[in-house]
Amino acid sequence: MDPLALFGVLLKDSALALGGLGSLPLLRQDLVATGVVTDTQLVEALAIGRLSTGPNGLWIVSLGYQLAGPLGAAMALVASSLPPLVILPATAVARRWLLSVPFAGLVRGAALATAGLLCATGASLILPAGDAPSWWQVAVGIAAAALTYQGRLHPAVVVIGGAAIGLVLAR
Amino acid sequence: MRELAKIFVAVGTQSVGGGTSTLFLLRRFLVEREARISEREFTEAWALCQLSPGIHLVALAGLLGQRVAGWRGVLVAVSGMMVPAGIITAVMTAAYGVIADQPLAHAALAGMAPATGGMTLGLAIVLVRGARRHGPRAVVDIGLVIIAFAVLLLTTISSVAVIVTAATVGAVFLGRERPTSPEGASE
Repeated sequence: MDPLALFGVLLKDSALALGGLGSLPLLRQDLVATGVVTDTQLVEALAIGRLSTGPNGLWIVSLGYQLAGPLGAAMALVASSLPPLVILPATAVARRWLLSVPFAGLVRGAALATAGLLCATGASLILPAGDAPSWWQVAVGIAAAALTYQGRLHPAVVVIGGAAIGLVLAR
Repeated sequence: MRELAKIFVAVGTQSVGGGTSTLFLLRRFLVEREARISEREFTEAWALCQLSPGIHLVALAGLLGQRVAGWRGVLVAVSGMMVPAGIITAVMTAAYGVIADQPLAHAALAGMAPATGGMTLGLAIVLVRGARRHGPRAVVDIGLVIIAFAVLLLTTISSVAVIVTAATVGAVFLGRERPTSPEGASE
């Protein structure tokens, strides 16, 4: 993929997402469905994002690196850092409007849609189409969902736990 | 300015696992240890950054950096938090690339794939918990989640179209309460 086009996709999907993982369904549709990356690369990027430091939205830096090396990582870093900064001029110019009822509804609608899209993406990573998962993979997916919902266990521990179970049961 | 850079580099390099730990460290350094930001300012900035697109913690870093040192503070805070963490992420990806074709890496990935899928699912449920309204109106909100879920799984409609449509519907029908919860937005 042309680097400029890749930057455009990363920037657009970051700008339309809410939260660090909100861009996942959008990028999956733009990059996996078009054959630019595989679901395996996406999973690797998500796992590395969870194990690395900083906000976990940095998973797209891992994805960028897989696609175009250091240049791809740098483009992903810039693409994920710019959209949130729109809040700075917005609070300076239109703070009252940001706290209005219609804007609260706009963010709520986008957040609920993002949640639905993330549900579908998460489910399809646990149960990939055309590839029957093992019972233990389904169990790992359900356990990871429950642990994330509870929020008591560190995300990196969940990823490492999944990898450890894979090492025992998938060899 | 150098002190501000040190704080955000420390946050970017010491917070492992994302949202919650990053937020925790930002608060510890800026509010408790250095007292550069008051508790009220931090809470207000956190509430505002939940309205931003993309990574909310970047918006938070920008707002806090601006509060401390104006536009130069924004640059120092965001780059201090993101660049070292981005370099660490890229190096980890490169290191993984070296072993990615090994059978052991394939076996680990077979476990990591459902784990990351489950974590995505869990995060989505947290997001719903934070964004939905209470009482009978929750049915409408959960209906929107189910529609988005079904559209992505069963149709070829663009995710962007789903989000833009839902945001428009939300602006007209779904106001009145806080849009997202701290825990949902912290990711």
